[in-house]
Amino acid sequence: MSAGSKKRILKEYGECMNDTPSGMKINFDEQNMTEWEVLMDGPEQSVYAGGHFKLKITFPIEYPFKPPVVSFKTKIYHPNVSNDEKGSMCLGMLRPEAWKPPNKVVSVLHLIQTLLIEPNSDDSIEPSIATEYKDNRKEFEKTAKDWVKRYAK
Amino acid sequence: MDRPTQQPAQPQQPAARDMVYCHECENEWYRDEHGLTCPECGSDFTEIIEADHDPRDERMLDEEGDDLPDLPPLLHPFHNHQPWRVMPDPDEGDVNQIQWRQNGPHSFSVTGTIYRSYTPNQHGGNEAGHDHDPPPLMGFANIVQNIIGAGIGGGQRQTQEEANQTAGGEATPGTPAAPGATPNPQPNPNHQQGGFAGGPRFHYHQTARLFPRDANNAQPHLEPVDDMHNVIAQLFNVIGGPMVQDGPHADGRPQQTGLPPIHPFAALFNTLLNPGNAAHGDFVYSQEALDRIITQLMEQNSTGNAPGPATPDAIKALPKIKVTLEMLGSDNRAECSICMDEVNIGEEVTELPCHHWFHEQCVGMWLGEHDTCPHCRKGIMDHKKQNDSNNLDSSNTTASNTREPSDAAASSSSDPTSHMPGSYGTIDAETAGDPYTAPESPEQQRLHQQQQARPSSNRQPSSSSAHSDGSSGGLGERIRRGLFGAPR
Repeated sequence: MSAGSKKRILKEYGECMNDTPSGMKINFDEQNMTEWEVLMDGPEQSVYAGGHFKLKITFPIEYPFKPPVVSFKTKIYHPNVSNDEKGSMCLGMLRPEAWKPPNKVVSVLHLIQTLLIEPNSDDSIEPSIATEYKDNRKEFEKTAKDWVKRYAK
Repeated sequence: MDRPTQQPAQPQQPAARDMVYCHECENEWYRDEHGLTCPECGSDFTEIIEADHDPRDERMLDEEGDDLPDLPPLLHPFHNHQPWRVMPDPDEGDVNQIQWRQNGPHSFSVTGTIYRSYTPNQHGGNEAGHDHDPPPLMGFANIVQNIIGAGIGGGQRQTQEEANQTAGGEATPGTPAAPGATPNPQPNPNHQQGGFAGGPRFHYHQTARLFPRDANNAQPHLEPVDDMHNVIAQLFNVIGGPMVQDGPHADGRPQQTGLPPIHPFAALFNTLLNPGNAAHGDFVYSQEALDRIITQLMEQNSTGNAPGPATPDAIKALPKIKVTLEMLGSDNRAECSICMDEVNIGEEVTELPCHHWFHEQCVGMWLGEHDTCPHCRKGIMDHKKQNDSNNLDSSNTTASNTREPSDAAASSSSDPTSHMPGSYGTIDAETAGDPYTAPESPEQQRLHQQQQARPSSNRQPSSSSAHSDGSSGGLGERIRRGLFGAPR
């Protein structure tokens, strides 16, 4: 990892500290600054309210030329989060082909929060959850809340 | 299907109990338990089964194809498949390792190893109606054996001999055995014939069910013979692939050990039969496999419509500008948005055609992989590519003939502005509707012109380039916008 990348990650961390999105806490390890642990409260206006989610943001060596990788360590029932041990979220600006170097982690954090409030069922990674979200919102909310109780307390 | 081959076993039963067979309902029972009247249907048309006279065999020989009472004949894929019928009965000397064991309260199994020499095409016409129908399993096994036989002989032989030396080691009462006997064909290389040329020898187990199945009590596993997976597994036992059989082994011992490493055929079939990866190329058999292929395709194409890298020349040719006061933000600060380092007035930065600027090194690394502006995604190669290809074309024609002057004349006559200073303005005219491109300042125009003139100074400067820019630069931009949406 180049010095430039490290410098930028440090700077971004500073920026995040000044302007942390509400309900988020970043655990930053100077020894391993390419892996951030983010603790995030489920947004109040979402079905995930009351849950506490642990995320990992991994910066590739090519950062900022390649996007950071976001993964949910806490299981979450969400159309845009893969329902496996990776819990990866890959859409919008996080897609490799959509990523631009000027994008910042802060905006990534905001994107995650926005997606918890309003999942994007058109660009889903879990098609069955997306279908349920679209066609059977009640059932989706029930399961999502159930998962919050089960995994995110 | 029920071969009389288990008969030599019967005299070895510990207590020679008489078996009674009902001709009405095909029931079988022990005489000392139920007497001579059928406990099932009450018929007294019954017969004691004797070693040298088994009514069940007569019945099956008489009503060929109708010997699988459990299934309607049409549902049974192998109701006419009787590869063993054409074989002569084994001699007493061929049979060894007879084993009799009790599997459960009402069930016994008799296991024997019979060594047979058999060549599929020897049976001639002595079986009417069957001479046109060579046993497919053995025929195929034979073919495969001939193809690969030499390669697998060694390991198989050793296994076989080891197994033969182990007393009772081959007893496999759990081998799929109903209704009747399941041949477990294996090459048997250790008798008379060496190699495989004379047709494979088969060594098979038979398990007899000596009492009807008891619906109320657990019974040892008796699978129908037609489980496709088993058939194939057995086929690969013949050719040496270590397919694992599904049936449980009653004594907990692995059925075969020390087989040669996975044979490519076996591996192929394993792959095909595993529902997890039920795919053959792009042909899939399960939803799961389909999903996996779609994911794979998406990954392959994820960057398929993204522009490729910009050429090093094009990157090098980008203009360098000094940071001025106007370029700073409202708080009089500005940073390179790639490395997020602050820039100061007078520092040199690289400017892209879209007028976004970055550190030369930062943007160079990005453009080396993607020909897009990190901010707005507008490429830097739009006009340059045209320029280059045009250069190439005309230099080619120059080399081969002398059409260039007329060419140039044609272009200049059709576009009188092309030679004028500021001919670059035609591009601006073309892209004026593009909200993402600011009009060029006179200073920038001059810069562009210098840059345009440099590489092609030995020929008509920018005549063809400006020309082509005018006609296709706009098109390229339109395509780009169509593909990626409005630049961000």
